[in-house]
Amino acid sequence: MEKIRERWGSKLGIILAVAGSAVGLGNFLRFPSQVAKNGGNAFIIPYLVALVLIGIPLVWVEWTAGRFGGGHGHSSAPGIFQRLWKNNPIAKYIGAVGIFGPFVIYMYYVYIESWCLAYAYYCLIGHMNFTSSDAYVQFLQWYQGVDSPGVFSGSMPAVVFFLITFLINISVTYFGIRGGIERLCNIALPTLFVMAVVLAIRVLTLDAPAGAPEGQTSMGGMGFLWNPDFSSLLKPKVWLAAAGQVFFTMSVGMGVILTYSSYLRKKDDIALSGLTAASTNEFAEVVLGGSIIIPAAFVFFGPQFLADPSHLGSFDLAFFAMPQIFAGVPGGSFWGFMWFGILFLAGITSSVSITQPGVAFLQDELNLTRPKAVAMFGIAAFILCQPAMWFLHRGVLDDLDFWGSNLIIVCGAAIEIILLAWVFGIDKAWKELHEGASLKVPIVFKYIIKYVSPTLLLAMLGWWFATEWWSVITMKDVPSENIPYVLGLRLLLLGLFVLLLVLVYVAWKRKRMTARSES
Amino acid sequence: MTVGGWIFLIVCWGIIISLVTFCYLRILQDNGSGDTPEEQ
Repeated sequence: MEKIRERWGSKLGIILAVAGSAVGLGNFLRFPSQVAKNGGNAFIIPYLVALVLIGIPLVWVEWTAGRFGGGHGHSSAPGIFQRLWKNNPIAKYIGAVGIFGPFVIYMYYVYIESWCLAYAYYCLIGHMNFTSSDAYVQFLQWYQGVDSPGVFSGSMPAVVFFLITFLINISVTYFGIRGGIERLCNIALPTLFVMAVVLAIRVLTLDAPAGAPEGQTSMGGMGFLWNPDFSSLLKPKVWLAAAGQVFFTMSVGMGVILTYSSYLRKKDDIALSGLTAASTNEFAEVVLGGSIIIPAAFVFFGPQFLADPSHLGSFDLAFFAMPQIFAGVPGGSFWGFMWFGILFLAGITSSVSITQPGVAFLQDELNLTRPKAVAMFGIAAFILCQPAMWFLHRGVLDDLDFWGSNLIIVCGAAIEIILLAWVFGIDKAWKELHEGASLKVPIVFKYIIKYVSPTLLLAMLGWWFATEWWSVITMKDVPSENIPYVLGLRLLLLGLFVLLLVLVYVAWKRKRMTARSES
Repeated sequence: MTVGGWIFLIVCWGIIISLVTFCYLRILQDNGSGDTPEEQ
């Protein structure tokens, strides 16, 4: 019997859900940190170029492939890839990357999201008013449980807030596409935008501390981001960092948009919806993300602070610098709560999206009901989230971030675009993109999707293999005492990938047997 | 912030805000309330 597929309730619903997936911690933390590290204004030019040549084309590729796959009853990469590759038996195994990638990101993302919830709570109860900079560092170390050396990190508050965050995530997923994810994003995303606009206005009107030199103003902070410094344009590293940021922020290459768009109907627009979700994300990143953290740090700490690369880590700025800044302004508890509230909302709209490819695979390919699929995913995810929490001080979270947010999504994106543009065929893909479209995509993007984007993606991968591959594999930069933990994690990831391949094999074997018995 | 910084900020923000406005106006124009028709 044909199963009834879940559907989005409205066009705006899927746009906000996809935008919610893209608007994450990276918009408010990683983007300003990357801009400041890479020459301020000069970073923006390669960033916009990468957005046009890689980001937006990939968004359209994923929406097109996803809706096409959904039309054939598949909502996750294994089934969609197999359909795109005319039932080639290898395609479904390649598609396992589209479930593996989100899973790897989920293994640490929810834990970081829970820090934001905890900090929002601590700000609200007025607990974040310390007198020295060191106290903020010590507080985070205490919270993470990395202040006292031992086999395990972690603290009771960290566990409690992780459990709350995890349960919220799983509950939203349980209620499904329309009743859970769409409803959450319809409320959370507009709330996030209003809060971010209010906070940006507050930051841009901050007064410098008494005795601060002239020019230490919020406009000076904006100048740090926007004043021209074209010398960085000649540095390949800046271009690579910009392309990496575009990837990270657009949620492309990880299979989430594939899954979300698979719940559309054949005649639903994807060209305008994809562009709308992408531009909403850019508004959150460039306009709002660029107007909070860097100007605030500039006003409060001065330009010397931002000139020191050791201060520009995303977490340093978010969890050390920002609470200190808000502690020094009237109503600081409220503003601190707003800041971490924004991060939490940005985090949860992203984390619920990365549960969906795995759950959809269990539903569509293994024929599980949604409650069973969510329960199975939840148990596996809960177990796999533990290493990031308990071995945080052993570099486990950093390693997960490297594989999940860097390598796997670039590989996933390269596979998707080659499959759609070259194997499925660019002419068919272009026709599919314009099926029911409310917008005619400029023809130049047909050639960008076929030639430019794949070339740039393969060049990025080639650069990585040429420069970093060996040192990453041999763990050259991992401290010797952390090697057993990082190695253990990598074996766990390898085991997870093999398990996914086995599940794909089992799913298709069952399909074959069912088809045989029916015939 | 220098004049060059202001120009660049206004251009970049202008492009992004115009794009967002264009997209949402088109969606409103196409769909009225923005709802897709219920499945047949």
